[in-house]
Amino acid sequence: MKQYKLLIPALLAVYVAVPLVFGSDNYVMSLVIASLVIGGIALSWALLGNLGGMVSFGHSAFFGVGAYASAVLTMQHGVPVFLAMLLAGVAAIVSAILMLPVLRLRGPYFALAILAYAHIFRILATEWTSVTGGSAGIANIPRLPLVASIDFGSKTGNYLVILTIVLVFAAVYDMIRRSPHGLALRAMHDSDDATRVVGVNNTLLKGLMLLVSSFMCGVVGAFNVHYINFLEPDYAFSTLWVTIPIVAAIFGGYRTITGPLVGAVVVYLVDQLVVKSIIPTGHQLVLGVVLVAMIIASPDGLLALVRKFMRKNDAAA
Amino acid sequence: MLQLENVTVRFGGLTAVNQVSLSVGSGDVVGLVGANGAGKTTLFNAISGLARAGGRIVFDGRDVLRSPMYQRARMGIGRTFQIPQPMHELTVRQNLTVAQRFGTGGTDMRRIDEILEFTNLSAKAGRDAATGLALSELKALEVAKALATNPKLLLLDEVLAGLETNGKRHFMNMLKQMHDTFKVGILIIEHDIETISNLCQRVAVLNFGQLIAEGTPAEVFNDPEVVKSYTGAEHA
Repeated sequence: MKQYKLLIPALLAVYVAVPLVFGSDNYVMSLVIASLVIGGIALSWALLGNLGGMVSFGHSAFFGVGAYASAVLTMQHGVPVFLAMLLAGVAAIVSAILMLPVLRLRGPYFALAILAYAHIFRILATEWTSVTGGSAGIANIPRLPLVASIDFGSKTGNYLVILTIVLVFAAVYDMIRRSPHGLALRAMHDSDDATRVVGVNNTLLKGLMLLVSSFMCGVVGAFNVHYINFLEPDYAFSTLWVTIPIVAAIFGGYRTITGPLVGAVVVYLVDQLVVKSIIPTGHQLVLGVVLVAMIIASPDGLLALVRKFMRKNDAAA
Repeated sequence: MLQLENVTVRFGGLTAVNQVSLSVGSGDVVGLVGANGAGKTTLFNAISGLARAGGRIVFDGRDVLRSPMYQRARMGIGRTFQIPQPMHELTVRQNLTVAQRFGTGGTDMRRIDEILEFTNLSAKAGRDAATGLALSELKALEVAKALATNPKLLLLDEVLAGLETNGKRHFMNMLKQMHDTFKVGILIIEHDIETISNLCQRVAVLNFGQLIAEGTPAEVFNDPEVVKSYTGAEHA
């Protein structure tokens, strides 16, 4: 209940206060938008990784497929941008359907197989030059449109769109997490037999989560392409779209809804604003060290550490 | 309700269950006994779908030999594991909620409360199943989860093992009541002859994967071949 009381002021703060305070600063707004893009991918990854215990290195495929689908649909078929973004999510689902056979695998085998799939999509994007433009990429991708006098293509407009996408995905994640399906996902993480013996079709459930997760990631990829207006295979299918969200999801908090989001914002902003200014080259090394320290100090993530610290302070007071 | 016809389970060159034929009628309580390694748990695995088997397994008139484990659970075959396998990270109540939702397709909180009360777990409903329960409570949770799927047949794998005398007595009373209250057939693996004699109408004996005797507890436990398989000695 306490959380819900805080929800409205928090929403007002992110929807109104951030554009009011930082709206004129393009650099800060770019960083905030980028951190939300990573937050969106981290949420979609967490649905599989944190909830279902399936460590996926293949989310760059969904991100890339979503990006290419939206770019091609808008530029070659004249589909409106917002509709194309939704269809890009569907395209990511189609790519995920091709990956369903790997759900039979577990642990590192699953992780490696899905990574291989992601690589296949990158090769496809490079070689299918008639559609994707090959390694030269696609330029002049339409930006987000003007709707009812609101310019969604502006920095603030982009921010509001990605914020809404991420919040909707967070609500979906939370709904799944609380449902019997979410409970079963958490349960099968530790014991496959304990869930199957009570009637849970583990493979189907994992498959459904893979599809939902791919849709989310595809939509985020589509948003990103209309934000940066350029696309090429090495960027769209970069491993960066997997590693930073994984770090964020683990760093922020294990199996929590806010964890991946907080992790993404903190990890990305601290990296870009603080660490990068001190160590311009190789600043990601510091992230690695911080992640290792976090796993040792608080395996449940940053939020758990903060809560522990607050409880200690309350007890001392 | 359950008919096993020449059920065989092989692991490479080892035949763990060899041509076993057995039936359990609706509402029957049947004991399955045998020395360690006789194939009892493997037979449970075959019935519940955890192990691949040959032969025929017919449940409620349907051949379920090729049906996956989750489908057999939804059809009404519930089971417990010798080493309890709670759904970790979930509370006791959440364990039952998942079992009921997926086992029956619906959610009925009243029924879950009934099962919690019946298994003496009401006070522990909010506890974490992995860390907050004693062994006897984990065993009760195994039974409660299985009951939440609304089973027609329950396979109980040594549910009394490891419990102290009072706990055993209490658990046995619960099993007797369960049979009456929930109208469920039971196939139970148990080493304690007194328990089997008190609880079961019929007993089947496995030895090196083969069914060597079947009948009432009195008949079976006086069978010289059964005594020999248990003690290695001829019947006195």
